[in-house]
Amino acid sequence: MSEEKGPTSAHGTAGGKKSKLNLNRLEMPKQTPEERKRNFEEVATGYTFEMAIEEAGRCIQCKKRNCRQGCPVNIDIPDFIKHLQGGDVEGASRVLKRKTSLPGICGRVCPQEMQCEKTCILNKKGAPIAIGRLERYIADWERQEGATTIPEIAPSTGKHVAVVGTGPSGLTVAADLALLGHQVTMFEALHVAGGVLMYGIPEFRLPKEIVQREVRYVKSLGVEILLDTVIGINYSLDELLNTKYHAVYLATGAGLPMFLRVPGENLNMIYSANEFLTRTNLMKAYLYPKYATPIKMGKRVAVIGGGNVAMDSARCAIRLGAQEVYVIYRRTRSEMPARLEEVENAEEEGIRFHFLCNPTSFISDGRSNVAAMELIRMELGEPDASGRRRPVSITGSEYIMEVDTVVVSLGTSPNPLIASTTPDLKTSKWGTVIVNEQGKTSKARVWAGGDIVSGGATVISAMGEGRIAAMAMHQHLAE
Amino acid sequence: MFPIVAHNELAPKVHRMSVKAPLVAQKCKPGQFVILIIDEEGERVPFTVSGWDAETGTVDFVYIEVGKTTNQLGTLKAGDHLAHFVGPLGKPSEVDHYGHVAAVASGYGVAAIVPILKGLKEKENRITTVLQAPDRERCFGQSELERVSDRLILAIGAIGENMSTSATQPVRKLLANLAQSPVDRVILMGSLCLMRVISEMTRPYDIKTMVHLTPLMVDGTGMCGACRLSVKGTNKFACVHGPEFDGHEVDGWEVLMARRCSYADESIFQQGFQCRGCSQW
Repeated sequence: MSEEKGPTSAHGTAGGKKSKLNLNRLEMPKQTPEERKRNFEEVATGYTFEMAIEEAGRCIQCKKRNCRQGCPVNIDIPDFIKHLQGGDVEGASRVLKRKTSLPGICGRVCPQEMQCEKTCILNKKGAPIAIGRLERYIADWERQEGATTIPEIAPSTGKHVAVVGTGPSGLTVAADLALLGHQVTMFEALHVAGGVLMYGIPEFRLPKEIVQREVRYVKSLGVEILLDTVIGINYSLDELLNTKYHAVYLATGAGLPMFLRVPGENLNMIYSANEFLTRTNLMKAYLYPKYATPIKMGKRVAVIGGGNVAMDSARCAIRLGAQEVYVIYRRTRSEMPARLEEVENAEEEGIRFHFLCNPTSFISDGRSNVAAMELIRMELGEPDASGRRRPVSITGSEYIMEVDTVVVSLGTSPNPLIASTTPDLKTSKWGTVIVNEQGKTSKARVWAGGDIVSGGATVISAMGEGRIAAMAMHQHLAE
Repeated sequence: MFPIVAHNELAPKVHRMSVKAPLVAQKCKPGQFVILIIDEEGERVPFTVSGWDAETGTVDFVYIEVGKTTNQLGTLKAGDHLAHFVGPLGKPSEVDHYGHVAAVASGYGVAAIVPILKGLKEKENRITTVLQAPDRERCFGQSELERVSDRLILAIGAIGENMSTSATQPVRKLLANLAQSPVDRVILMGSLCLMRVISEMTRPYDIKTMVHLTPLMVDGTGMCGACRLSVKGTNKFACVHGPEFDGHEVDGWEVLMARRCSYADESIFQQGFQCRGCSQW
């Protein structure tokens, strides 16, 4: 029981008196499942001031500060919590902003249970501080107060940097380099900045107004954002490097959807998750006809895949009026890559999970619309390269399931546009850009990070890679 | 914001719009397309470019009013602005010296094929063009096509009613006359039905036949897969691998036509737009 001594004594120093550990991790209020499955409003409504103070009060300000190490951008978590303990939300916000420009986003979509909260010393008792909820509270408080805390910006270096892509990785690099005094221009192919935060993650998990507010914050640091501009088309990477830009950061994400490659997959009413979510979130098809983009939804919807994007698709489908939504996953619940919290949310909303099965073909209604799919049952075999047990199909176990809408959510790979127009940019066989530990690519003055490098990971890892690359770029620019 | 510099009606419900978009105009090549959004509530809609001027920074396209967004476009005037305009998207058409090229165009294709034919003309091809229109009143773009073609054949008649006046008739004649006047390449830009039918007509003669596909798109940059189609058994995206494909290699015409019309009931008001025998009606 030696682990307990550390925190208890640390608490003694910080609080001045010994008291029992408070293990009542405070839940966030949520819309009830019945209510929320009929709207696109945020599921969790966030802490009140009193709740934030109460939850922050559980932090024992231990000496180890393992939470900070668990954070991909090393936010000084105990310090912002300390400000909260004293009721100083503004001070907490300042601490937060030192390391993240996107707290309202991270507080909502980071997998904290795998990061800061996993390494929180109270996690040993199964009740880590709800760091993500506190981060979200601080960001929301700042938004409601209307007073944005802007850190000090270094004097201009006269150096120009181009950031390609306005998702989480690009925004992080842009903000970091702008604060260091560089002139940053961001290029966005779509008509709105924010990347996957806008087109992918649904409103009920990450309100778009919050994303746009963080985008406005990055702009307030002097960053210029050019929308409707495709690098690889309007300007090649070499054109950027040969004009005013001293360095370029590539953060174009992984936009290319993967398909199953089985017969009938192009039938009408079979969507890629990217199309389904882009129509719904970016184009706001859930507000059709006020917004002009429609989305066709059937009654029985199958979502193929087990990741967070599959959960988002399934939960959008139910909100768009589907009567039954199934998630089809070829392994079991414990191998699902989706966050447990999102799986639970989906279950509460009535989404049904079918494990150990995989589509083998899609069947037409005779008018080229999907009417059913053939599935084959799977079992788990030996572990594969990812360490998860490989799903193996059971011969002769095929069966038919009637569906009228299918969303294929098997992951994405990087869009080849820039790589294909930049011969000297080294990529892997999966199309991801190859970089060193600092995010430096094979091409001079070009760095890269986020999903274009990882092939598909989290918002916060994309930000973490951005943070590291920004430091390396800053060093290069200072030389 | 992208100002509209000119907007003219070419025929009933057919308009040419010219938009100031220097970044697009600088890089445009024949056969590419743009995506525009009228206002912040608007949808992303693709249009193949029919002309551009890198010096004045303008880009032209021709559209037909068939639904919600194109009807709204029809109400805009020179001096109004489009919220968004991005491009040039897609791969440019293949333009080289082939010899004798037969081109068939209908609808928006009558205008959008002009830059391709210009390019082919510069490569010293002999060009025979067939212009299909539903009737005299709705026939437009004749003089531009005449300028870039060695010979222009008109096929004027109501689609689906009297097919003898369709473009298939002159194409059949061209194919019957191959011994005297060989055709080295065929380029089609028009309705899916027409492109499919003519692709099947040229297949036995093994004449390379390029089609310009216009499936539904959302982002237009390879992200959503809405525009996917099967080409020689593998999936291609019209927005990044096309929109020009070898018509003899496209193997999912049925599905392509069904997908094309999947939102017809939502956004297409004009009943005359229906193709006879289409599975979606």
